[in-house]
Amino acid sequence: MNNTEKLKLSENIAVIAGIFSITVALLLLLNFWQVSKSDPIESKALIALVDRLKQEPNNEELKVEIRNFDLLARKAYFNSQWQVKTGAYLLLFGAIILAFALRVYYSLKAKIEQPDIVLENEIASRILAQKGIIIVGAVVLALAFGASFATVNHLNYYNVESETAGSGEKSVDESIQVIEVGEVPKQVGGSTEQNLTSETSGPVQPEIVFVENSVENEAETVVKSEVPKLATTGGITLADVQKNHNSFRGPLGQGVVAHKNIPSEWDGATGTNILWKSPIPKHGYNSPVIWGNKVFIAGADDSSREVYCYNRADGKLLWTGVADNISGSPAKPPKVTEDTGLSAPSLTTDGKRVFAIFGTGDVIAFDMNGKRVWAKYLGVPDNHYGHSSSLITWANKLLIQYDTNRGGKAVALDAATGEVVWETVRKSKVSWASPVLAEIDGKYQLILTADPIVAGYDVETGEELWSTDCMMGEVGPSVGYSDGVVYAGNEYAILVALNPKDGSIIWENDEYLPEASSPLAHDGLLIIATSYGVLVCYDAKTGEQFWEHDVGTTLYSSPMIADGKLFMMDNDGMMRVYEFSKEMKLISENDLGEIAGTTPAFSDGRIYIRGDNNLYCIGK
Amino acid sequence: MVINIMKKLKYIFITFYFLLSTFYLFSQEQRFPKPEFETGYEQPSTITPEPRALALEYFDVLILIIVLSLASYFALKKRSRQGILWLSVFTLLYFGFYRNGCICSIGSIQNVVQSFFDPAYSISVTALLFFIIPLIFTLFFGRTFCGGACPLGAIQDLIVVKPISLPKWLNKTLGLIPYIYLALAVLFAATGTDYIICRYDPFVGIFRMDAKFHMVVLGISFLLMGMFVARPYCRFLCPYGVLLSWMSRFSKWHLSITPAACIQCKLCTNSCPFDAIDFPTNEKEVIKSGLGPKRFITYAVIIPLWVAAGIFVGAKSHTFLSKANPDVYLAELLISQPELKNDPENIDIETFLASGKSMETLVEEAEAIRADFYIGSMIAGGFIGLVIGFTLLNTVVFRRRQDYEPHKGNCFSCSRCQDYCPVEK
Repeated sequence: MNNTEKLKLSENIAVIAGIFSITVALLLLLNFWQVSKSDPIESKALIALVDRLKQEPNNEELKVEIRNFDLLARKAYFNSQWQVKTGAYLLLFGAIILAFALRVYYSLKAKIEQPDIVLENEIASRILAQKGIIIVGAVVLALAFGASFATVNHLNYYNVESETAGSGEKSVDESIQVIEVGEVPKQVGGSTEQNLTSETSGPVQPEIVFVENSVENEAETVVKSEVPKLATTGGITLADVQKNHNSFRGPLGQGVVAHKNIPSEWDGATGTNILWKSPIPKHGYNSPVIWGNKVFIAGADDSSREVYCYNRADGKLLWTGVADNISGSPAKPPKVTEDTGLSAPSLTTDGKRVFAIFGTGDVIAFDMNGKRVWAKYLGVPDNHYGHSSSLITWANKLLIQYDTNRGGKAVALDAATGEVVWETVRKSKVSWASPVLAEIDGKYQLILTADPIVAGYDVETGEELWSTDCMMGEVGPSVGYSDGVVYAGNEYAILVALNPKDGSIIWENDEYLPEASSPLAHDGLLIIATSYGVLVCYDAKTGEQFWEHDVGTTLYSSPMIADGKLFMMDNDGMMRVYEFSKEMKLISENDLGEIAGTTPAFSDGRIYIRGDNNLYCIGK
Repeated sequence: MVINIMKKLKYIFITFYFLLSTFYLFSQEQRFPKPEFETGYEQPSTITPEPRALALEYFDVLILIIVLSLASYFALKKRSRQGILWLSVFTLLYFGFYRNGCICSIGSIQNVVQSFFDPAYSISVTALLFFIIPLIFTLFFGRTFCGGACPLGAIQDLIVVKPISLPKWLNKTLGLIPYIYLALAVLFAATGTDYIICRYDPFVGIFRMDAKFHMVVLGISFLLMGMFVARPYCRFLCPYGVLLSWMSRFSKWHLSITPAACIQCKLCTNSCPFDAIDFPTNEKEVIKSGLGPKRFITYAVIIPLWVAAGIFVGAKSHTFLSKANPDVYLAELLISQPELKNDPENIDIETFLASGKSMETLVEEAEAIRADFYIGSMIAGGFIGLVIGFTLLNTVVFRRRQDYEPHKGNCFSCSRCQDYCPVEK
């Protein structure tokens, strides 16, 4: 065989092998397409038959039918497997022949090349090589060095004591006993217990001054009767939450705080009564919460979600907890609008742990020293603005209102472990309101508002106790509660007073309606703040209007009552202080010097306000 | 017309390898679930496959010796490219597709290293022989193992279609990578962390037809690249190649381009697709260049600095490197995300919890491994620093050469250059 004949032969073999390989590859693709179109594993017929069997478990004929169907599906599956495998080998065989024929063809065609006249300049090449080696060597070492800084040695954070301390049930009981006797809590050992005792120092009983001074005498009996009862069920007490502003809108989320000597005048520009201000690393619309000597807020952007703990005394950032590496959490956060962001929900704390939820659906718990306790992914909330419902904790549970476009639910997680204690599906649409707690008929209820229902749930079991179909639209304001009446409202909907014992409507009004700010009820008065800048005071019992004040700026923040005064922040950072009475009396207007639409927190004669960029402490 | 068809076929050939990836992925994803109802059928419990019979393992060693002998014979004595080529085909079929790329000499580095550091690990004689025999052959005959007895080399060698010559500086710079890979492979094997050479072997998945998608993509990428940059894995990654290169430099008999005196015809200058032919030294250029003793002394003096930098960086990065260890990973995962203890879908954690081992023990073990990494990373860093220092030094060392010669360290003994040489014996 001469060279030309060999050339021709190799060319023919290459063409045949090429056509063969293309054919096999196309058949394989066809097989792939067929199988993906009619996946035997996801056969609708089989699923339908299995569903039928669940309804008729003793239907023998159906069982035989399913078995036959299943066998058929398996045969189809293994047949396609065989086809894939055989096709793969055939394709490989064809590819090898093709490669070989091509090689032979090119080698037969190859001509001896002309030697290079000008060879590579070896000296120049060596000088270049030196540079290359130095650069590569330096880059490798620098990368390894850089990696060392980007690495966290988690083994250093291992704490034998905390790992063996158990889930915390025992410590809860012990801490409750301490509160029951009204003395300084004992240190019972273990890091979490130490945290609790340090954060709740001081006698508890004198702190319930609010109850004594309050018009709501019934609340006093609640405190007295509930504390011993809660000591047996576990969890924080009313005295705890009144001492510590542990959730959005303070104790139980009702907007009424017990602290005294709250300043009513300050000025951000001159620094008057500004005790400290600290920058907040990441943005968020959540409001500060407080336990003991610590203030907590959160911030987030697309790159990370973080919880910040500040020293209440001097504003020093004590620790930052990062909510990352949460199983199931999406790598890319969901799209949210600028005015809601990924960190709109306020945190809550039970004195042992601080809890946070983000717009990604991540819930995380840190202990008071910033050590991660647990984290859970609830699924990305389908919310066109972003999830904004704040957290609240009671009876060792973290309570979450999770109303999304895909349906609503209320969830209680075990505060110590994050496990689901109960989950109640709600007949509600998406909502931006936050949960409020109230003691009704000796039971603590979780009261939630959304389109279209305002409803109460048993904190212990999640059972829906009552529900009133009265709300509509995009519900932002949480409910108000006072004196056995629930107040709910929303712009373009209605303002209602509800009896939570049976869900009946006591009165309704639609003159002034809030858009984001929550109703505040206390001592026979009901305060409503509209987004178009009108602050209105109603008679809580009848819905009769006492007074209104048009401040002319947007009001998204929720009103708060402290020290007998009404505190109302506007979106420009101006907080107006009113006398809390049937008559409108503006005490002061205080400019923070920074925009702030959040709700303030109060503790020990001080106000804590989250501005757009800074956290402020106001005090005398 | 024919040329056009052939050009098109070249593209078709490339396309096949991409197509191959689809069904590898496809075969990976298909899993059939168990029936959803009781049938009375008992699922057999899974069992570990029986190891290959010892006699057959020794047979593999025998085959290796025969292939190495033939490769050495073809390269040194017979000077036959055809012989080496067919031997490569046999190696690919036998050690590649039939033996599924295992056992291989490249991966055996890790077995040998682990046998030194893990008292509970006993290396098999076969693995040891697969490690040692090619090194011994190389010490005598050059890298004939790479030329004809390595399945990874064979698969790359057979698909070289249109090799391009890389500039020397790039060859030198990329040549650092195998040393780094070797250092990491030894570190991970010594600490019982992983056999990274096997895990990231780009071709073993093709041999076994069961690779994960990303490994198939990697393998196909290497093959596609290998059509133009010949044997990319062998030249710029293979950690065993480092050892073979050291041995080959001292080889007693090595392949030569000419069977007799070189006639300086320069026909072989472009024959090596691996840029492994050294040209005659141009002494005038060398003297003129200034790359003389002064720079040699400078580079020699800074070698300890490179080593010190390597040790320092190694010590610093030990935490990062140790995270690859499964025990360290698990301990850190449980510390950083304690809630995962309740995640029934995390098999690693479920297995750990089912084992009854306490968290404290796990953390203690992880800390011990991290301490090993501290030492190991410093040694690995120091080694890498030493290699950088010596490679740099080597760029100013000129050996007097009058003929075209294969570079003993880099030559794969494939005999291509011999085909180009017109000199008769």
